[in-house]
Amino acid sequence: MEAAAAPAVRGLRAGCQRLCYGAGSERKWSLQSKQTSFRFYSTGMTLDNINKPAIDRIIRVDHAGEYGANRIYAGQMAVLGRTTVGPVIQQMWDQEKDHLKKFNELIVTFRVRPTILLPFWNVAGFALGAGTALLGKEGAMACTVAVEDSISEHYNNQIRTLMEEDPEKYKELLQIIKKFRDDELEHHDVGLDHGAELAPAYSLLKTAIQIGCKAAIFLSERI
Amino acid sequence: MAAVAAAAGSLRRAGWGLLRCRPAPRWPVTLHRLKAMASAPRSLQTKSQAASRAQTHQLVVTCPLYPAQRAFHASALLRRVSDEQKQEPPPSSSQQRFESHPPGDQPDQEPQRSHHSYTDQGGAESEDYESEEQLQHRILTASLEFVPTHGWTADAIAEGAKSLGLSVAAAGMFHNDGSELILHFVSQCNSELSNLLEEQQKLVQLGQAEKKTTDQFLRDAVEARLRMLIPYIEKWPQAVSILLLPHNIPSSLNLLTSMVDDMWHYAGDQSTDINWYTRRTVLAGIYNTTEVVMMQDSSPDFEETWRFLENRIADAMKMGHTAKQVQSTGEALVQGLMGAAVTIKNLAGLNQRR
Repeated sequence: MEAAAAPAVRGLRAGCQRLCYGAGSERKWSLQSKQTSFRFYSTGMTLDNINKPAIDRIIRVDHAGEYGANRIYAGQMAVLGRTTVGPVIQQMWDQEKDHLKKFNELIVTFRVRPTILLPFWNVAGFALGAGTALLGKEGAMACTVAVEDSISEHYNNQIRTLMEEDPEKYKELLQIIKKFRDDELEHHDVGLDHGAELAPAYSLLKTAIQIGCKAAIFLSERI
Repeated sequence: MAAVAAAAGSLRRAGWGLLRCRPAPRWPVTLHRLKAMASAPRSLQTKSQAASRAQTHQLVVTCPLYPAQRAFHASALLRRVSDEQKQEPPPSSSQQRFESHPPGDQPDQEPQRSHHSYTDQGGAESEDYESEEQLQHRILTASLEFVPTHGWTADAIAEGAKSLGLSVAAAGMFHNDGSELILHFVSQCNSELSNLLEEQQKLVQLGQAEKKTTDQFLRDAVEARLRMLIPYIEKWPQAVSILLLPHNIPSSLNLLTSMVDDMWHYAGDQSTDINWYTRRTVLAGIYNTTEVVMMQDSSPDFEETWRFLENRIADAMKMGHTAKQVQSTGEALVQGLMGAAVTIKNLAGLNQRR
């Protein structure tokens, strides 16, 4: 009986509410939303009123991507470090290290939770880099082409999202992502220049790696 | 929109009119019940709760409809009330009616106070609406005062609503188990803590305070947060048990994680790897175990608890160092394995320079 009374009063209250404030104010009492609203802006970060969930996803997945890319190059270097393509890979790796550093900073300033899959990307990235490098330098380059192709496409999507949101507000972030996208495209071209297409079962390899990248992006955005 | 505002205004007036008027015999029966419900704060304190509940039951019995219909029905009813209210004599006469209260009905200060709060609220209402959320926030904040006596219950909320001059039926806005009151309290404490930590951080940045070591900082933060529970410590076990009910776990977990996240953030945590998770998990574990110890602690000023806390933080720091050592050992091992792989490859002749 008492259980029946509570909804009745709540219903009455809701009816009254609808009458008083119109249909727009049907927002449910939620402590979480209240909590999250003041949680993030206490960092003194430059951006106010940002679309926090969207930015969270972008930074989280990019951080995971750069981390994975680092591990791939580490794997390649472990196998091909002393061959003729060693310096080329090293140069690309150094750029990726800069990218990762930048996203590490962004994770701290925006207070984004890093993806929980990082240990997995650590192993998987290294295994992918080392595995393709074991197919020869063309294999490694094919891997680079496939990965960088997916990543630059992914960055382009993010740029589109941010442009739709508000280009002015996310100017800083947009510049970072644009610069990184250009770097990744450069790596892609370097890979092609070094005979990526001569790798054994090139198209199969590329497709498989790209599917893996898509899955990794999907997961890293979410968990 | 103007019509809605007008309707809202008249409804408010009606509601408060109801609160102040005594039931007039010519009104429909259901209206009696509504009015009796609204006038509950004036009635005797001990009875009020039971009375309002009983009346709510009657309301349910008289309108056995589906929830949505019921809400609509209720709002229609209220509208009718407000219409009738308009035909009532002007407020001055209702004031006179107050004068003629029976002596047992607390006639002196109470009506004045409720009248004042009515005008205040009415003023705020016409300028900018108080959303339902804000009202609930206000009621819950007021209810905290009654927690030590009533526990984390609907009774405390009812008392809180009464202290704001609202009907005790306002407790019906919340779940019966008082979970919203507890969650409200926890989130209030969390924001208080984050403000405190932010101030400390500012002081450190300005050079007016010395930067604490991480373990000292965490110890102080957890202690500051736990000290917020002291006024309610007698009733806190009840709150913990309610927070652990399955339907409250998402919210309470959310509040717990955001609290430890705040602590680590102000402690200057820069981790962006799996440490991010382990640090937060460990701190949440320390917080919760210390909370349990605190509930059983009878030493003066919870000295035992703070000692326990210090030891646990020291343990966690030690664990961190050990983890680092294990990690470096692991890295060395991996490098050794890589070396072995390269050697095997060389032996097999796979590593010719091309």
